[in-house]
Amino acid sequence: MEKRETMLESYLRRGLSRRTFIKGCVALTTMMGLSTDMVSKVVEAAEKKPLPVVIWLHGHECTGCDESFIRSGAPLASDLVLTNIALEYDHLLSAGSGEPFEHHLEETVKKYWGQYILAVEGAVSTTDNGTFCMSGGKPFVETLQRVAKGAAAIIAYGTCATDGGIQGAKPNPTGSAGIKHYTGTKPIINVPGCPPIPEVMTGVVMHVALFGKIPPLDSEGRPKQFYGNRIHDTCYRRPFFDAGMFADSYDDEGAKKGWCLYKLGCRGPETYNSCGNLRWYQGMSYPIQSGAACIGCSNAHFWDEGPMFARLPEYGPLGDIDKIGAGLAVATAAGVAVHAAASVVQKQQRDKDKENGKEQVGNK
Amino acid sequence: MVKEERRIYYLFSPFLRIFHWIMAVSILVMFVSGLLITKPVYINALEPTYTLFLVDVTRSVHFLAAFVFCASLILRVYGYIINRGDRLFPRVLEGHFYSETVDVALHYMLLKKSHAPFLRNPLARMSYAGLYVMAAIEIVTGFAMYNMADPNTIGGFLFGWVNTVLGGEYMTHVVHHYCAWGIMLFVIGHIYMAIRADFMEGEGEISSMFNGTKLLEHEPKDACEVEPPKTK
Repeated sequence: MEKRETMLESYLRRGLSRRTFIKGCVALTTMMGLSTDMVSKVVEAAEKKPLPVVIWLHGHECTGCDESFIRSGAPLASDLVLTNIALEYDHLLSAGSGEPFEHHLEETVKKYWGQYILAVEGAVSTTDNGTFCMSGGKPFVETLQRVAKGAAAIIAYGTCATDGGIQGAKPNPTGSAGIKHYTGTKPIINVPGCPPIPEVMTGVVMHVALFGKIPPLDSEGRPKQFYGNRIHDTCYRRPFFDAGMFADSYDDEGAKKGWCLYKLGCRGPETYNSCGNLRWYQGMSYPIQSGAACIGCSNAHFWDEGPMFARLPEYGPLGDIDKIGAGLAVATAAGVAVHAAASVVQKQQRDKDKENGKEQVGNK
Repeated sequence: MVKEERRIYYLFSPFLRIFHWIMAVSILVMFVSGLLITKPVYINALEPTYTLFLVDVTRSVHFLAAFVFCASLILRVYGYIINRGDRLFPRVLEGHFYSETVDVALHYMLLKKSHAPFLRNPLARMSYAGLYVMAAIEIVTGFAMYNMADPNTIGGFLFGWVNTVLGGEYMTHVVHHYCAWGIMLFVIGHIYMAIRADFMEGEGEISSMFNGTKLLEHEPKDACEVEPPKTK
């Protein structure tokens, strides 16, 4: 096998100084959610480890995750792709196309069997043998299964890849699902979001690339450093929630003053992501900061958990459970009243029977 | 004045009685505070900072009531262990249970004038079993939401799986909320049936939750489950 560059070599080849390299490593460390005392380890890995080969497959999706990815600010997506990893195959970012390109995928898989990192975006379409999602003349599900077999680790980018996403929403005509059931026993990192935060995407792939290890994962296979908190618990509007200060509609005084969007169905209390602390586009903003309630896009089935702008599911004219529950309670109370009246009558009859010497039947 | 002979059955230990009332109060507190958490309201919000209604406080009240409820439930289980009269599970493994259930149901549907005497009738036992199930759901979903503020704690480890099983934390909220309404419907039925039983049979149904005894005219079908009665 030919010798592959390390990250340091790749920096030097491009005429960048070692100082720049170290600065890059420091940025990487913070961006991966690691403490600063890990800098030396990051530098060591970046000096010695050959650039990891990455194959990036796209399935049933909108490529919005890539749109997010290329907006990563630290590191720049271009830096990552050109100097930090050896990206061998990517539908969206590759210059090549056609048969030679597909051929290159096969070659890469063969050459780096068991070593490459497989990044997957998009759901797996399964209905009709997966023909709803074809790429290079083959159903995506086949390509995925074949390439996954030789992967060292798999990263599922976006809610489509982790749980089926919008394709997998009811009624799911294409039978779309997350990739985890089609990748065998390979270790898999779930990076949900629609799309995931750019720096989270780059951070996860860099973690695997540099340390050759999977970052610590939570019970749903998500990296703890990025999905360890609810948005609600890290939201800068949380004090307004605690103080009971809410926007009741998108154009009222509360909304203008930037109060909590909880009443507008914000899914922050149910959603695990880094929007609250990392924010988007180098800390510029995130949905809640822009005045929109969180829709919980990193939740597995968020498309089906509507309406997105109300706290509770609604059932047409019946309203939500609070309305239905109150209705049922009133109906029960009315039933109780009728039953009570009938019981009084029954008791009077019973007492009369008793006086006449007839013992109740049931008591025998 | 009618003179009548009745037997006194001692059923409910203080563990059941005391914690019945503590749990009843905490359920009401949790229901109201829970509704207010889902749909907060302003009170006296001339100056929002000084609103009387703080979601933070409401949540704390809700959590406090929840912990009181759980502690009471544990002590009530202790009562279940030490006192036979506290054991209210339906005897679903015994064949006669079903015919007796039908008998009681027919009476409650006003199709029969009376039902056979029970210390704790089979239909009531079934409703308690339903309540225990709903309470269990409320407890696990409640702790799942409560503990996942930090998934790395022991609480997150013990209850975090609930969110996975239900398909996401949003569903946990929904199930918790729906189940709360189920418990409220039970409460309405339970209060009514207790008052009605006292009115119809005069067996001391309501006072039994204070003094632990019921007064029965005839030998109840489940008499073998408790200590023999004292005759008055």
